[in-house]
Amino acid sequence: MKKHILALLAVAGLVTLACGSGSNQGAQGSTIVLGAPLGLTGSLTKESALTKQGYDLWLDWINKQGGINVNGTKHPVTIKYYDDTSNANQSAVLMQKLITEDKANFLLGPYGSAATATDAAIAEQNQIPMVEANGAAQSIFNQGYKYTFGVLSPANKYLQGVLDMAATLNPKPTKIAMLSADDNFSLEVAQGVNDYATGLGMQVVVYKKYKNGATALTAEVQAAKAVNPDIVLNSGHLAEAIAIHKAAKEQKLNAKIFAYSVGPSTPDFIKSLGKDADYVYDGSQWTPQVKYKSQFYLSVSDYVAAYKAKYPGEGDPDYHVAESTAACLALQRAIEKANSLDAKKVRDALAALDVTTFYGRIKFDSRGINTFKPMVVEQIQGGEHHTVFPSDVADKKPMYPTPSWDQR
Amino acid sequence: MADLVQLVTIGLLAGGIYAAVGVGFSLVWGVLNIVNLAHGALVIVGAYLTWQIFTASGLDPFLTLPIDAVALFAFGYVVQRGVINRIIRAPLLFTFLLTFGLNLIAVNVLLLIFKSDFRSVTTAYSGAGLDLGGIVVPYIRLAALGIALLVAAALALLLNRTRVGLAIQAVGSDRDAAQLVGIDLRHAYAVTYGLGAACAGVAGGLIAMIQAITPTAGEPYTLQAFVVVILGGLGRVSATVVGGLVFGLVEAFAQSIPGSGSVFANAIAFGVMVLVLVTRPQGLLGRLR
Amino acid sequence: MTTSQRWQRILIVLGCAVIAYAVLAPLTSLDGAQALNLPLLTDKLWFRLATITAMFVVMATAWNIIGGLTGYAAFGNVAFFGIGAYTTGMLIAKAKWPFLLALPLAPVAAAIFAVLVGLPLLRLRGHYFAVASLGVGVAVGELVQNLDYRGEPIFGGASGLFMPIFAVPNRDLYFFYLMLGAAGVSIAVTWAVIRSRFGYGLIAIRENEEAAAVIGVNTTAYKVAAFALAAALTGLAGGIFAQWNVFIDQENSFPIAYNVEMILMALLGGTGTVFGPAAGAVVLQLLIQFLSGSLPITLDLPFVPEDAMPVLAQVVLGVLLALVVIFAPRGVIDFFGGRSRLTVAYLRRSLRETSI
Repeated sequence: MKKHILALLAVAGLVTLACGSGSNQGAQGSTIVLGAPLGLTGSLTKESALTKQGYDLWLDWINKQGGINVNGTKHPVTIKYYDDTSNANQSAVLMQKLITEDKANFLLGPYGSAATATDAAIAEQNQIPMVEANGAAQSIFNQGYKYTFGVLSPANKYLQGVLDMAATLNPKPTKIAMLSADDNFSLEVAQGVNDYATGLGMQVVVYKKYKNGATALTAEVQAAKAVNPDIVLNSGHLAEAIAIHKAAKEQKLNAKIFAYSVGPSTPDFIKSLGKDADYVYDGSQWTPQVKYKSQFYLSVSDYVAAYKAKYPGEGDPDYHVAESTAACLALQRAIEKANSLDAKKVRDALAALDVTTFYGRIKFDSRGINTFKPMVVEQIQGGEHHTVFPSDVADKKPMYPTPSWDQR
Repeated sequence: MADLVQLVTIGLLAGGIYAAVGVGFSLVWGVLNIVNLAHGALVIVGAYLTWQIFTASGLDPFLTLPIDAVALFAFGYVVQRGVINRIIRAPLLFTFLLTFGLNLIAVNVLLLIFKSDFRSVTTAYSGAGLDLGGIVVPYIRLAALGIALLVAAALALLLNRTRVGLAIQAVGSDRDAAQLVGIDLRHAYAVTYGLGAACAGVAGGLIAMIQAITPTAGEPYTLQAFVVVILGGLGRVSATVVGGLVFGLVEAFAQSIPGSGSVFANAIAFGVMVLVLVTRPQGLLGRLR
Repeated sequence: MTTSQRWQRILIVLGCAVIAYAVLAPLTSLDGAQALNLPLLTDKLWFRLATITAMFVVMATAWNIIGGLTGYAAFGNVAFFGIGAYTTGMLIAKAKWPFLLALPLAPVAAAIFAVLVGLPLLRLRGHYFAVASLGVGVAVGELVQNLDYRGEPIFGGASGLFMPIFAVPNRDLYFFYLMLGAAGVSIAVTWAVIRSRFGYGLIAIRENEEAAAVIGVNTTAYKVAAFALAAALTGLAGGIFAQWNVFIDQENSFPIAYNVEMILMALLGGTGTVFGPAAGAVVLQLLIQFLSGSLPITLDLPFVPEDAMPVLAQVVLGVLLALVVIFAPRGVIDFFGGRSRLTVAYLRRSLRETSI
């Protein structure tokens, strides 16, 4: 069998060699290779697909410009993707392959905090900057890594915007039922709520954690119902958000505000729940209605148009797409500012970066994560997403309070 | 008190689904001595079948259940007759691994066809339910419990009152003797697995109505089927039904523990299972094998 | 020379070549070697893949002791891997022990756990034991992630444990040799066990446990000892993994898939032999990495979209698994070891033996 495997490998080697592009000598400068391991299959595939859309949107645009400008020469860009099957250990291997075999100049982050944590260690050991947009857990950034940068707001902020919004509404809701999956990211989001609520005069009266990926969440919903909450919050991922909302309807859990982190912003949420998805709020990194003034790349409306042109039928881009594009923008600007492709110089440029794009302000704190961009709140109204908070970027007022299930 | 009743209701309703998933698994294990690690895959195939028919034709999902049963029966028959029958006499390790391989194939073929999007079967009556003095009983879950019990009863009837069923039981107690008596082993085995798959298919159809499905959503059900079967005991359909209901209750109560009770649900389930195995291996109602 | 003898020769030569390559090639990455202008045979990717392969050699060989020799097919051995990883991880991250002091405690902790859990569990047979061990494997991972003490997770919880990078010079080479050493230890232990009275006792238990008891083998003690030995070796691999990976959490330290993979490797190579599981581990790991696209050589099928490749790879793996199980249940080393010949007749016979 060993002999046959060797033969197979030899044949495979002869059939095609599909290594990274390395140094493509075009009319312009050498090609910049960016490495991106994503969970294209497995449990994180939906979110990873959105991440890839974000990376590709930027890729099209930058290559249309001829590439990234370094010292007067334009360098075209290519992104090498690998599928880590949503497995963090596999992500590490593929990350190493991108560095060693595909000679990636820089790295784009995977989806998910677990994979990001493992990959950050690799980036650190190989001293290659990694800019990520989809791993918000702060524990990654508390390790003192110098080569990992996150353009997204950290996990604990995800639902704080919802609470801020709630504080402005009348009658003011005060009782919170907090449900959370037990993975790293979700727990940080929940902890963010726990820390923030009392300052606004609200109280978390019930806090239930459940197994990541669980689909039978009726008992948790029941526990929330038992305390008659004003606000029902869930911190988890798409599958759990759908399960909880279905259970809320079944068990007739009513509340003035239903807000979920991750989930409502993705197209699948509305597709799965139909009209039941209305009134649900979402703490979002970005929405198409924000009014940031972008210093380079496309404006907000142009970005939305570009997305719709490239991916028709998906509706507006959700924040996973936008933040992934933002990661590329941060890298691009850092390379331009450093005027070099040297890893160390670009890393330093990233650390010093301060720029506003369609995505909002991108600036990294001393740990490497972007604490300078606020979260926005959106709500599903009539089957469509609308930004409802903060008021300077909102396009609609929140539909408050959420009518009870019997009245819909 | 009302909360307790509601919790028990939630547990029993969930237990119905677990029972439905479990009876097919139990049949195959009890009679064929095969621990079918592809059981979850069969369930999810049934779920996708229901979803596909519902989405394409608008047929009420409950009416797709018989189609699930027939289709999965045929599928299971072919798989058993063509593939699994080849290693029946091998040590148990091999059936574990073979069914694991089949599971890998099935789930990934589903991934190729359907991608990993979440699909849902949403009808006009989704989410609606009875309100018995504050205790909520969703219609679909109630119907699922009823159908699960029906399937179990039908299976029990088939096993005890028909020639085919008796042949299957004979094969289960003593394979070689059954062969001596003239029972066609290959056919009997294939029918048994087909029946197990049919039950899984119906369970899958019910699941599609209750939760959003994706190709990998069947895996947890295989693990849960283990616990249900061990809990209830091998050998009788009623044992598995009891196991399923008990498991549903255990899960509901674990999830109601304030704070993080629910994250231990898996640990509790498996802890209970190991406990049962070590202290009373025949389960609550089963016979020792 | 008969065919089987020739095959045996080839196998031995091949095996020695692989071992020599594994031991010597990394040396080319040392600065001294580079100064002598030796070709660089190993790069960071090579080291990562090689270390993972060595890790599986340890796990498959360890499993063989309880599964192959004793006949108790444990399906939850990944629990020991995780226990080893977390023991080392906790000692380094929380108690600030140095790595080399923390590492020996990993196999000790795993072995103790195996004894505690094994005493009740090993009274079960066949399916029941397999299922129970699977249950333990799953439950331990869950408990490790979720146990809190006064609101704080004891073992790092969902955010996992981060360790300092342990930046020794030639770090990749260091950890590879460490893992290779562990692999060597596992194989040596297996070799010693097979030739000892202990080993005979285990095999007797596998063949007929009642008879073994009758002739005076203390079956309980032997089974538990085998279980603990397998646990210790697996735990050692886990301990090395923890520091090597710098970050551990439930997902990467208790991956359920490893349970099946280590069994499959032992099966492929031949359970009950000394080198079988190791060979199986190397071959299967190569195959898995190849199909996942991690190797420098990749395959471009013209009619398959690139993003469907990993899924297709899983299908191929499943088909391969099914074929091996159906046609070659005694493991592939059966052919090359010279006990059988790879002919259609052999396959047919193998099939007939197990089908109805």
